[in-house]
Amino acid sequence: MNGFVHRHPVWTLLVVLAAALVLWALIAPWPDGMEAVFGRKRIFLNAVFNGITLGALYFLVASGFTLIFGLMKNVNLAHGSLYLLGGYLGYEVAEATGLWLGAFVVVFVAVGLLGILLQFFVFRRMEGEDLRQTLVTIGISIVLADVMLWIWGGQSYQILTPEWLSGPVRLPLVTGMRGEGELVYLTFPAVRIAILVASIALGVLMWLALNRTRIGMLIRAGVDDRDMLAASGVRVQYVFVMVFAFGAGLAGMAGIVGGTFQSIVAGEDMRFLLASLVVVIVGGMGSILGAALGAVLIGLAEQLGSVYAPTYSVVLTFLIMALVLAFRPQGLLGR
Amino acid sequence: MSLLEARRNIGDMLGAAGTGNALELRGVTRMFGALAALTDVTLSVKSGERRAVLGSNGAGKTTLFNCVTGDFLPTSGTIRLFGEDVTKFPPYERIRRGLRRTYQISLLFNGLSVLDNVYLACRGVSRGRYSLIRPRRNDALMQSAFELIEAVHLGEVAETKVAELSYGQQRQLEIALALAGAPRFILFDEPAAGLSPTERSELVQILTSLPRHIGYIIIEHDMDVALRVADSVSMMHNGRIFKEGLPSEIENDPEVQQLYLGGGHG
Amino acid sequence: MAGKARPASDVPAWLVGMPLSYWVVGIVLLFMPVLANDFVLFQILGWSFILGMIALSLMFLGGYGGMVSLAQMSIAALAGYMVAILGTSGVQAISLHWPWWLYVPVAIIVAAIFATMIGALAVRTEGIYTIMITLAIAAAFFYFTRQNYTIFNGYSGFANVVPPELFGINWRRPIPFYYLALFCAAISYLVVVYVSRSPFGLALQGVRDNPRRMAALGFNVVMHRVVAYTFASVIAAVAGILLVWQNAQISPGTAGLPAVIDILVIAIVGGLARPIGPFIGALIYVLLRTFSPDVLLTLGLPGDRFKLMIGLGFLAVVYWSPDGVLGLWDRWRTHRRKAADPLTGQGGAP
Repeated sequence: MNGFVHRHPVWTLLVVLAAALVLWALIAPWPDGMEAVFGRKRIFLNAVFNGITLGALYFLVASGFTLIFGLMKNVNLAHGSLYLLGGYLGYEVAEATGLWLGAFVVVFVAVGLLGILLQFFVFRRMEGEDLRQTLVTIGISIVLADVMLWIWGGQSYQILTPEWLSGPVRLPLVTGMRGEGELVYLTFPAVRIAILVASIALGVLMWLALNRTRIGMLIRAGVDDRDMLAASGVRVQYVFVMVFAFGAGLAGMAGIVGGTFQSIVAGEDMRFLLASLVVVIVGGMGSILGAALGAVLIGLAEQLGSVYAPTYSVVLTFLIMALVLAFRPQGLLGR
Repeated sequence: MSLLEARRNIGDMLGAAGTGNALELRGVTRMFGALAALTDVTLSVKSGERRAVLGSNGAGKTTLFNCVTGDFLPTSGTIRLFGEDVTKFPPYERIRRGLRRTYQISLLFNGLSVLDNVYLACRGVSRGRYSLIRPRRNDALMQSAFELIEAVHLGEVAETKVAELSYGQQRQLEIALALAGAPRFILFDEPAAGLSPTERSELVQILTSLPRHIGYIIIEHDMDVALRVADSVSMMHNGRIFKEGLPSEIENDPEVQQLYLGGGHG
Repeated sequence: MAGKARPASDVPAWLVGMPLSYWVVGIVLLFMPVLANDFVLFQILGWSFILGMIALSLMFLGGYGGMVSLAQMSIAALAGYMVAILGTSGVQAISLHWPWWLYVPVAIIVAAIFATMIGALAVRTEGIYTIMITLAIAAAFFYFTRQNYTIFNGYSGFANVVPPELFGINWRRPIPFYYLALFCAAISYLVVVYVSRSPFGLALQGVRDNPRRMAALGFNVVMHRVVAYTFASVIAAVAGILLVWQNAQISPGTAGLPAVIDILVIAIVGGLARPIGPFIGALIYVLLRTFSPDVLLTLGLPGDRFKLMIGLGFLAVVYWSPDGVLGLWDRWRTHRRKAADPLTGQGGAP
């Protein structure tokens, strides 16, 4: 970090200025001239917060994807199917028991088990054959998609927010001023705040687990040198299976989150697979931090794009990806 | 172009012609992370000169080749090829200027025939790399491909897939690829590794019968081969060149013997 | 390959070297309109030729270049869109009513430029990333065409896009369309076979096997890969034009993600090793798609589980025969030769 400041003083200054500008735009009430150009501040703030929450959801899905790729160089294109399956299962559990949190546990275990099966029957048998793995997982995603369509049909499902998380929360962010100088604050659904906090906590925990624990060191050693990991007496396959189960379970849980604040419907598997792909291409393959950065960037681009340039919001996402590929093919935080 | 620049360019050309260096490295350093694979290497090889580079494993010899061909860019320093600064050039630009190389571990096109391999090598340094027209058998490039194949004694297996060749034949093909076009300077990376005594003498014969204007650098562990085909020798250790001289001087140098020859080679 | 070893003579080598099976297939295809009804000609064979050409462009990139691109359907669709936009369609506000001799080449050129840009992005990374990047690009294209109303007319796309009445023939009639599609498919196939042995094609295979060595032979590896995208796009673009004429309409769903994946399935099931593979894959796909409801119903399954069958079939192929149906065929032939030739114990390569 310090090295960067010393090497690129101009860039650092620009970054600091941009950060200050963003902070000001978020906190202070906007002058009239700015509202005239950018519209109401409430709309802007809402887009930003929706973008960040969407980013949190993308992070939940993409972090499992990037973790599995980073460790095993396995490209699991059935990752979106795991998300969708998690959503459907979560809906069923929540409907049957009324326990929103309970659904997370059940789905994590169930989809994690499916991940173990995938690792056992597909990836372990095709180690090092990227193309075949990719093709097989595409096949699996086709089959899973049709089976899910068979069971749950084409209609969309909404998982109900539990009572203790429903309703709005007032945030300490000014959106404007009433006539007599009274400040108006932004309100935001509590469930989204909860998801955001949970994602950040999960991200921090994953980062800590990978960088500060013995098992994390082992996993990272496995990324760099699989033979060394094997030679050190660790059962590599065991570590792989655990990571795969965790990544799959995470995708499944993300399905519940997505089903709660958006909805679950056939076709979402592809959408979230693509979101994961773009997020990890932008952030850098195999990097948790990169996935977080990429997820927030893409989430913001989608939401701000859909508010300010509805026709071109997809193009914006794509442009970010193209720019990253052109100037930093390994991704923003990739090695 | 300003007058000053023009004068400098002319000076460059005259300088190049004057010294007649085929290859000139100045202060080349290559880092891999914190590890220095090459440290401040300065080396010049005259046109037509044949140089052997000796040194233990990990001395930086292959990294040196990779920097010269452009597979890696040096962390600092400059590389001049036939008087032209090519430090930032991509590999293919250097090859098109007459540089060639062989690899320690054969890098061939296993799915293609011997003829296709050599034809590609000939095509790579001539026009029409994107041509969609199939070559005819009496096409000039096809003819030179055939000649090359004969020159390295692979005529009988010209239509065979590379994957089906013996190890020795693959090594010969590796050399044929480096001789394609009109090479002016070649980097041979352990061409004799793994060859039988007969194949070794064939190799020495191929190397010594190259036209005199073609210079080369050869990395070789077999002192017999290296000293027979080289005019001069550079010794490398830990990423540095620490001694240069004639083959006879190097052979009898006590420091060299201790560092390199004393290690039970032979 | 076989023709190369022969000495030059008056008869062109390719004619002499043509195997018997080519003659048989060629004659059967030429006289197909005598045997088959309109439905088979137009819906089954015509569509197979078109899908086969798009998959062929993927085979060229994947088989010879080692780059599995999922954007080929999008490239085809862009050419189709160009025909609708520049030529005549039911959307009067957008279509420009250019004559066919202008909009056909322009459509191909636009698609080729698009493909070159995709290639320039995709070759920045290697191997498995290509699939991911091209999949993302294909998705972006789909969403863009669905959201953009000024050029692509958004969700509804274009209807009433018909081929020009050239030589007084209605080219959408089954028999003329069959011959048109057959002609384009045959030309594409022969061009790919021919180019695979040209300097460009050979060098592409060299880049696939060993990019580093190709650079050390004087080839600009990155540029070669990008040019391969451009080349393959021409085949995809022609197929896209045929596709929009056949359906008389084009909409975002034409290059939706299911369609994009279907092209991959077709190419893989047929086999990426040889240019005939994609056409075999396309025929299998179209037959399954057309007749699977009947088959499924007789098996006592719901008739709309076509995707499940395709998915399971695809899984079976990649699981057991990575070279596709062609690989199975090769193995069977080798096996039979081995049995027939106990002395050498070797099954020579075909």
